[in-house]
Amino acid sequence: MLAKGLKRKLDYEENMAGAFDSNPGLPYNLQRQLVLNMCLIKLQSCRMLVEPNLHRSVLIANTVRQIQEDMRQESGQQALSVCGVETYTSTQTGIEFLGTSSPVLHNPSGADNTSDSMENPNENSLGVFSDDDMSSAISSILKDLDFMEDTSPSPCPAPAEDDVSVECAGAPSEDRLQGSKPADSVFGSFEITNSTSYLTDLAFDDIFEDIDTSMYDTDLCLLPATPARSLSGTVDDVPKPFHLCNSSSVNSIQICRVDFKLVFQRTY
Amino acid sequence: MGEDIDTRKINNSFLRDHNYVTEADIISTVEFNHTGELLATGDKGGRVVIFQREQETKKQPHQQGEYNVYSTFQSHEPEFDYLKSLEIEEKINKIRWLPQQNAAHFLLSTNDKTIKLWKVSERDKRPEGYNLKDEEGRLKDLSTVTVLQVPVLKPMDLMVEVTPRRIFANAHTYHINSISVNSDCETYMSADDLRINLWHLGITDRSFNIVDIKPVDMEELTEVITAAEFHPHHCNLLVYSSSKGTLRLCDMRAAALCDKHAKLFEEPEDPSGRFFFSEITSSVSDVKFSHSGRYMMTRDYLTVKVWDLNMETKPIETYQVHDYLRSKLCSLYENDCIFDKFECAWNGSDSVIMTGAYNNFFRMFDRNTKRDVTLEASRENSKPRAILKPRKVCTGGKRRKDEISVDSLDFNKKILHTAWHPTENIIAVAATNNLYIFQDKLMWSSDYRFIPDCVYF
Repeated sequence: MLAKGLKRKLDYEENMAGAFDSNPGLPYNLQRQLVLNMCLIKLQSCRMLVEPNLHRSVLIANTVRQIQEDMRQESGQQALSVCGVETYTSTQTGIEFLGTSSPVLHNPSGADNTSDSMENPNENSLGVFSDDDMSSAISSILKDLDFMEDTSPSPCPAPAEDDVSVECAGAPSEDRLQGSKPADSVFGSFEITNSTSYLTDLAFDDIFEDIDTSMYDTDLCLLPATPARSLSGTVDDVPKPFHLCNSSSVNSIQICRVDFKLVFQRTY
Repeated sequence: MGEDIDTRKINNSFLRDHNYVTEADIISTVEFNHTGELLATGDKGGRVVIFQREQETKKQPHQQGEYNVYSTFQSHEPEFDYLKSLEIEEKINKIRWLPQQNAAHFLLSTNDKTIKLWKVSERDKRPEGYNLKDEEGRLKDLSTVTVLQVPVLKPMDLMVEVTPRRIFANAHTYHINSISVNSDCETYMSADDLRINLWHLGITDRSFNIVDIKPVDMEELTEVITAAEFHPHHCNLLVYSSSKGTLRLCDMRAAALCDKHAKLFEEPEDPSGRFFFSEITSSVSDVKFSHSGRYMMTRDYLTVKVWDLNMETKPIETYQVHDYLRSKLCSLYENDCIFDKFECAWNGSDSVIMTGAYNNFFRMFDRNTKRDVTLEASRENSKPRAILKPRKVCTGGKRRKDEISVDSLDFNKKILHTAWHPTENIIAVAATNNLYIFQDKLMWSSDYRFIPDCVYF
């Protein structure tokens, strides 16, 4: 496992990727989230370059788009279950989520459902032990991202997390495991990202709000619940309802959209 | 303009300490000329090294075929674009030889932005006895000139001169990934991520943009050009590949602007095989016409495909290069290996194809017998005149003695660039900073006997 307090971003990612490859039984949603996280980090690093490699950036961006599309389709299936669930946006919760869910990564017992994403992962694998080291690793990432945010062209990163964090911290962990909220919140974002004018519609402050948390608060922790929901959910519905349920994770997608633009235009 | 003139005798000084690899020494392209007599390599340090095949002598009939350093010169220097505050790397992205038309050889070399035409010529005589200049070229004091003499050419040691003849700059906003000389021998094209330009070899200040896939809004950008090549016989046809795995054949007779392709070669996606990295792995990293011009070969991350120009719906052959990596894609994505651009090469008769892989392995596929082999380019295995042993990667189950397991593959040792002699079974394989040249004394179909010919470090 991770050494106390020493792990940084790369190690964390390696760990995740390694866990992904060596454990094909990982729940589909978790795999997807893992890939999405890596994509976002890569896009961030692309953005830092003076002249990013366009080919690489496009491939990463398309992967994000594909995952978005995938999530959107899934959200259609989960339409009913999603609404009315509050979101977890705070940095702190994000960390906690990852902290509690990290055992999944290292626990191969999570069912051998390589192909079938809807199969129920082993709920028991969650919360078997909680990993403080992981949390600290992630908080360091979040700090990094905050820093990146500061250097980004955004006029003002708007933090609005504290209130939510209180709320979330109070929430029992079981609830967190049950809610498919972060996933939903991501779905919610598609409404906005899909609109052609999303960039002009939003103030920059909104766009960059919560960037750090949104990248990590998604369904890492909620996997167990998601399959159940999806089974019960209606199929192929437009995810309009989610539009309202969320404010936080929207930003993760917006951020990456911004990335596309910055990354691509920078090269021009 | 750093131009060096070297003789072929620099052979030893060129050999570098093989334990010390600098970034600049990494070979970034390998290309035989049209006769196979010369082989050019470019590296990340902007240098071009040309090797020449030793001529067969009566004394040593078996010595024929060894390649020795013929010339080395600095093709590109690092530059700085002050308008955009961008550094322009000196790394040589591609080298292409022009068909030989006189005693001199010409080649094009390019980095990310600038293409240069170089003339490589030999000189073994020098003029002597000028009236107004002395031996060093200084003007004589006219008062000392009392008689007129006729200058004469005297033989001297062979000297290889490399001179820049044309510099084609300022036409590419993005990074040039391909150059290709047209079969009309007068024009060539250069492709970057979003555009393809057509040049006349004699004109440096103007080029024609023949393909432009840049969307008005860069946000809508989902596809880039990854490679492009002219048809070997029909000067009006060109093909370019994209990051979405498609090939577009363009006919320049149809319109000056080839934005509308004549043919689109695309394999329908297998929905069951879709995974997160499908699009990245299907991005074409190289496209090559066969010598006959009938087929095209594309390389993507996991496979090599052969396409018939007459069939757009799917490739006629698909070969798995390293299918065992399919379960490791997430790690390969994480460490960026998944973006590696492997190239591919045809043999002289278009019956065998070759491409690189990891762990200094390279793969060959015999299109007729459907046999394939994995070979390794390494110092240990490359004793002169030894026969290369096929290698095998263990893909699950029990590992046999001489097999290597997927987990112990070294992903830092990759063979991205390979070249095949245009007529003979001689291959050049670039492994990081090492160039391996192997030749097969027997016909390839009879055995996979590649013998290390010479190894340069």
